[in-house]
Amino acid sequence: MLLELKNIFKWVNSGGQRVFLLKDINLKVDEGDFISIMGPSGSGKSTLLNVMGMLDGFNEGEYNFLEQSVHTLKEKKRATLYKEYIGFVFQSYHLLDELTVQENLEMPLLYKKFKGSERKAMVADMLDRFNIVGKKDLFPAQLSGGQQQLVGVARALIANPKLILADEPTGNLNSNQSEEIMQLFQQLNKEGVTIIQVTHSEKNAQYGKRIIQLLDGRMV
Amino acid sequence: MIKLFFTIATRYLLKNKLYSFINIFGLAIGVASFILIMLYVDYERSYDKFEGSQHVYRVYMDYLEGNSFVPGDAQTYNLSGPTLKREFPGVLDYVRFYYIEKATFVLGDRIFEQPMGSMADASYFNVFGYPLLKGNHKTALSEPNTIVLSQTLAKKLFGDQNPMQKTVTVVLDGDEVVLTVTGLMKDIPKNVHFRNNYLISYATENTWDFFDEAQTKLNFNMNNYYTYLKIDENANIASLKDKIINSDFDEDEEERHNIEPIEDIHLYSDKPYEVSVNGSATRIKFLSAIAFIILILSWLNYINLSTTKSLERAKETGIRKVVGAHRWQLVLQSIMESTLLNTIAIMVGIIASFMLLPIYNSLTENKLEINLSSFTSLFPIFGFIFLGMFLAGLYPAFLLGDYKATKALKGEVRTSSKGVLIRKGLIVTQFLATIILIIGTMVVTKQIHFLQNQPIGAELNQIVALKGEIVTNKSDSLLSNDYKLLADELKDLPFVENITFAQTYPGDSFDNLGSSRGITLPNGVQNLSTVYYVYDVQPEYFELLDIPFVVGNTFLPNDSGDSNQIAVNETFVKEMGFNSPEELIGRKLKFWGNNEWVVTGVFKDYHHFGLKDKVLPLLVKHQRDVNNLLVKLDPTATSTAGFTTAIDQIQNKWNQIFTKSTFNYAFLDKKFEAHYKEDKTFGKAFQVFTVLAILIASLGLFGLSSYTCVQRRKEIGIRKVNGASITQILKLLNIDFIKWVGLAFIVAVPIAWYVMNKWLEGFAYKTAMSWWIFAFAGISALAVAILTVSWQSFQAAITNPVDALKDQ
Repeated sequence: MLLELKNIFKWVNSGGQRVFLLKDINLKVDEGDFISIMGPSGSGKSTLLNVMGMLDGFNEGEYNFLEQSVHTLKEKKRATLYKEYIGFVFQSYHLLDELTVQENLEMPLLYKKFKGSERKAMVADMLDRFNIVGKKDLFPAQLSGGQQQLVGVARALIANPKLILADEPTGNLNSNQSEEIMQLFQQLNKEGVTIIQVTHSEKNAQYGKRIIQLLDGRMV
Repeated sequence: MIKLFFTIATRYLLKNKLYSFINIFGLAIGVASFILIMLYVDYERSYDKFEGSQHVYRVYMDYLEGNSFVPGDAQTYNLSGPTLKREFPGVLDYVRFYYIEKATFVLGDRIFEQPMGSMADASYFNVFGYPLLKGNHKTALSEPNTIVLSQTLAKKLFGDQNPMQKTVTVVLDGDEVVLTVTGLMKDIPKNVHFRNNYLISYATENTWDFFDEAQTKLNFNMNNYYTYLKIDENANIASLKDKIINSDFDEDEEERHNIEPIEDIHLYSDKPYEVSVNGSATRIKFLSAIAFIILILSWLNYINLSTTKSLERAKETGIRKVVGAHRWQLVLQSIMESTLLNTIAIMVGIIASFMLLPIYNSLTENKLEINLSSFTSLFPIFGFIFLGMFLAGLYPAFLLGDYKATKALKGEVRTSSKGVLIRKGLIVTQFLATIILIIGTMVVTKQIHFLQNQPIGAELNQIVALKGEIVTNKSDSLLSNDYKLLADELKDLPFVENITFAQTYPGDSFDNLGSSRGITLPNGVQNLSTVYYVYDVQPEYFELLDIPFVVGNTFLPNDSGDSNQIAVNETFVKEMGFNSPEELIGRKLKFWGNNEWVVTGVFKDYHHFGLKDKVLPLLVKHQRDVNNLLVKLDPTATSTAGFTTAIDQIQNKWNQIFTKSTFNYAFLDKKFEAHYKEDKTFGKAFQVFTVLAILIASLGLFGLSSYTCVQRRKEIGIRKVNGASITQILKLLNIDFIKWVGLAFIVAVPIAWYVMNKWLEGFAYKTAMSWWIFAFAGISALAVAILTVSWQSFQAAITNPVDALKDQ
């Protein structure tokens, strides 16, 4: 088992009232899973994803990741954990505008103490794998949205994470580009990467092996 | 609409308390510093302004040094004035002063010393525009034995009675004269270089024993007179000056007459025998520069902070644009806000400067005051400040108007890279100024420290100079006996270590010191050009002051206490062209007519004129009767009882012997230090304003770094999600600022080096501008920068990236 959420609650206090973002979430994710999270706006999809990605905390419940209880871990430990095992893909790609494709790919490795030569090899490998060698010296602004997201996925994958968390990865793409990214995800999943994606699109959700519906912070 | 703008502006300032505070605080510091410095600068520049002052010039002497003439003496001959008036039609009138540093006034049983007065020609009231309250300005000083008193002195002498036609006795070196009051003048203002408390008619010279015939006879030999000329307003000054320089009435190739505007004396003249300590134009320039730098820094700061803030308000701007605001309306609103903020800041600054004035005065030992007239003279300054602030408000205003509405609404506002460059330029400028100021402060402080620790060449601690005016009918020799009696009695006091008589002492500068030219050397050479200085002492003088002899020794008087012996300093030996001091020992010097003195010793150079000036050739003569006492106190004995009791006991002895007299004393070390009092003051002012400049610059940096953090929010988020640690983010954010400070440092060093070198040129003895001064300035600027920036970037680094990366 990769991760397990038990009775997760998350809330914020607004105007003297407790507003629940997540309510009693129970979820088990095995290695090799491909989960699609769906639900209307404000139902807590992104919050759930962030909690799983350890970017966000929660108020109540337990969270175990690879047999470690995340809720009791120190911040630093938690950071090493997600640095090593989790990769993120965003709707608006979040590439650094000032860096080239190649540099964008290299960036996460800089923070993981890989040697220069290793980094180069890994970046080259990734460029190859995604067929974007010819674009390695371009800046994000010079790429189409689909190409940018391709780089985004490549960046998420570069340090060999076990889990990819994708927040509406196709939200800014047209249907053709969406299709490509989804097929890529499926391919990766076959290769053993666990994927959890948030999506609005019924069609894209179908790529997942499992679909979770959220409404007002609750799984339905 | 204006009212709405105003309401929004007020609410906005109240809502963003920290921002408003930093902004107002920064501007107020700038304004207050500027006002305080300008008050001082204005005061220093206000010297010697009276009705017609622009046509009054002082005559002074240039001396030939090598191949060129240099200002040599602020005093001239008693023939200088009359001759110039006779020869040049442009010269309408002249007035001569014989300056009396301290005279004793006797009125009935009362006896007191009165500093600063003069013998003056009757033309005084024609040349100087100071009004006479009582008496006739044409005749007040025309008769011998008449005196014009200042209001304060008249009140001191006669209370509320009418002083006119009353008589008062004035004593100078034992010579009395009875004077009739023929005029009452207003007190001379503080900002006048020649502040006379009384004027005695020039004609009194002929009836007063103090002056001998050699002195009073019209001559070109003794230059003891300050001469001022009133010049025709239509005269061509340049050609007149030229004619005076090229004239040679005194038939002496080695010197020449010259003139300078009276208004320039305080700041630009610093000649030997000045009547009072001058100000310094350099100092004024430095301070004005600092004032402007601080003010400009605070404006840059304001621009920086408000552009930063406008970014955060992009959404508001977007909404306004969408609902139909015109660009000019946005600009107007922004200007409204900046006007409001600046007005508050200026008010706070003005109030602060008023409140800080007493502290500033005590710190810098000035006596500045703000009254109505200084207030009106500050009007242009206020105008300047307002204008600057208005301009400073324009840039952010136009920047704001530029935002695209749709982007602004989405929070996607990014200013152009040009805008970023401008802001970085502002920061570099701020740090440039700050680093220069830090280096400046350190050089000034180091120089003052250097001066204070420079060996003087004489030991001045615990030595008191005693002086007083004795009113007595005794002959000079009997009076000298009284002095010797006093010396004997003082020697018996437990805390007195040693005692000697000397006309003057190190640190007394040109006071009580004679200057001369023309001497016949032992080798028969006549030297007519070198100026040398002479004073009289008794044999124990050198021992008491610890002035060592290079060769020879002190005087050895004969049984009756007389001798014609003399000692000279090393500089004299050098300037007179001797190779070794031995060549002079036991041989004769001939000067002042046919008088001859035998050289008994050459003593090591010591600093008689303070450390700002070079060592000059000195002749120290033996004289049997010198009436000024130097008393060396025992440090251990006085440390328990304290100096005050020691002085009290000395004064007791003094009063027992001199029943009708004045008494005053001076500690030699204090007097010596007074030479660089002005520099110390300057150093302190420099320090204070440097700290303020650093404060302002760091406020600006605070602004820019918060701006950067906002700008790079997304980037920080992405990097964090991809595994960057807090330290790595901090490094990323700070490295830029370190680069900018580094750039500022590289530019600042040569500028500071050049400027401070110029300043040090004013000192004959100067400290080295060590590398560590520059290093320290750079490192401290960097430290301030890193601390300021880290405050913001740390906040940014610990923010949860989720907040930054939200897609909507």
